[in-house]
Amino acid sequence: MADATATIANEVQCAVRERRPFSIAATLKNKWFLYAVSITAFFGIWKYVDYTQVLGNGIAPPEAVVVQIFRLTGDTIAGKSLWGHIWASTYRVLIGFAIASAIAVPLGIIMALNRYVNAIVKPVFDLLKPMPPFAWISCAILWFGIDEPSKIFIIVVGTFVPCLLNSYMGIRLIEPQLYDVIRMLGGTRRDEILQVGFPAAFPAIFAGLQISVSIAWTCVLSAELVSARSGLGFIIIQGMQLSKPALVLAGMVVLAFVAWATTLLITGLEKILCPWKREAVVA
Amino acid sequence: MAYEQVKVETPLLLRILPVASILLFFGMWQGLVDFKIVPNTMLASPTQVMELFWEKLFVTDPDGALLSTHAWISIQEAFAGFFLSLLVGIPLGLLMGWFTVAEGLARPIFELIRPIPPVAWIPLTIFWFGIGIPGKVFIIWLSGIVPCVINSYVGVRMTNPTLIQMARTYGATDWGIFTKICIPSALPMVFGAMTISQAYCWTTLVGAEYLAADQGLGYLITMGRRLAMPSMVVLGMICVGLTGVAIGIIIEKVEKRLLAGIRR
Repeated sequence: MADATATIANEVQCAVRERRPFSIAATLKNKWFLYAVSITAFFGIWKYVDYTQVLGNGIAPPEAVVVQIFRLTGDTIAGKSLWGHIWASTYRVLIGFAIASAIAVPLGIIMALNRYVNAIVKPVFDLLKPMPPFAWISCAILWFGIDEPSKIFIIVVGTFVPCLLNSYMGIRLIEPQLYDVIRMLGGTRRDEILQVGFPAAFPAIFAGLQISVSIAWTCVLSAELVSARSGLGFIIIQGMQLSKPALVLAGMVVLAFVAWATTLLITGLEKILCPWKREAVVA
Repeated sequence: MAYEQVKVETPLLLRILPVASILLFFGMWQGLVDFKIVPNTMLASPTQVMELFWEKLFVTDPDGALLSTHAWISIQEAFAGFFLSLLVGIPLGLLMGWFTVAEGLARPIFELIRPIPPVAWIPLTIFWFGIGIPGKVFIIWLSGIVPCVINSYVGVRMTNPTLIQMARTYGATDWGIFTKICIPSALPMVFGAMTISQAYCWTTLVGAEYLAADQGLGYLITMGRRLAMPSMVVLGMICVGLTGVAIGIIIEKVEKRLLAGIRR
């Protein structure tokens, strides 16, 4: 999403800066003022809902959540402090993500380049694709028990699909003119793949990895909600079992923050690894 | 015709391979179970799944409802959440795209809530709504609304500026430009959101039913695990997959119909 003041619906606004006289109407329409109002209203309503007990004991006030997060950094739940739980979840995400991308990305590229491989793998992949990753949780528990492997399996299954699809489409959707150019310059098939195919498909592949990371967080969370002894999902489920909404909300806040930080990291990595990417990928 | 049509013959091998691959997949699956390479407590063979499918159409045991009941409940929940997210998300996104005030007020809250995976709300919704349908609809709504808002927002933002400037020149009001130019030009993006949002809703539904349900396809899968009946797990997964694909196809058809007159 672009900077709000610079464009409205792509319409370039006049860039001349003038110091306008102070007016209440302008202040009311100022972006930062509105943001402040919105955030204040959000927390205000949250506090009010808690105060009036509309939802019974099902909600904790914002300050209780903050206190809870600070307490978690010191206290331990099931033998681990907050950092331990964050690391447990992150560790699962990293392993699962690494396995999935190590298999899915090359497979997608090979499928796009070789139609025989495509003819063999695509039907089976299309058959398994529509199963939501959550549906695999039961299978994973039947196959691997409730330990680490089952959680990693869920993440692998969940992240496999976007990784493979994006690398496949990335290669497939390369403009044919680019290939024509390198053929005209006398390139071999090897040059076609290395000089054109890979750089042109890289942004799409990376977009796939980006989607995968956010899916991986959802997967690890749901796996931990179903059965776990550590991780952020475990904190949330503990809060539910102990009827402590503050603990649930604290888990959610920390999770959102960690997931957001990982996304930020990947976006930063993309800027370094792939500076030739032009348009922004939307959602 | 101006061009000579070139017929490209697909090699026979390329037409056989997909069929062979599917057959091999099911053959291996059946073989793994039949020859006891994988114990029957972990995986059910396709034939066992088919048998159970036939049985579940008429018998409510052991999970308390017919297969059709489970599917119907799931579809109801998914569609309720889906339509609610369209109803709220699309107007919100459109308004956010054009009006600075709407964006200023809605954006921070949206950005605060967006990074939380919808599944993480399950414990809170159980506190708030119990384990009935409203809680699940709420979670599905949360997951469906994100693509709706983003796509409608981007759709409005990507309106061709020339059109807006033209409308301004002819003296259109702010609201007039929004309704007559921005919304129509955002429509393809908005319908794209429908497809994405539907897929999200269906995925989340299974997650929601895992933790809080007494009926539905996700519940069927969970019960299959609790009763150690792999055939029921696989049956549930296949039903989820097939229903999801069917809904996706329907939405796509509707989208094509509605967008028939729009040049893309």
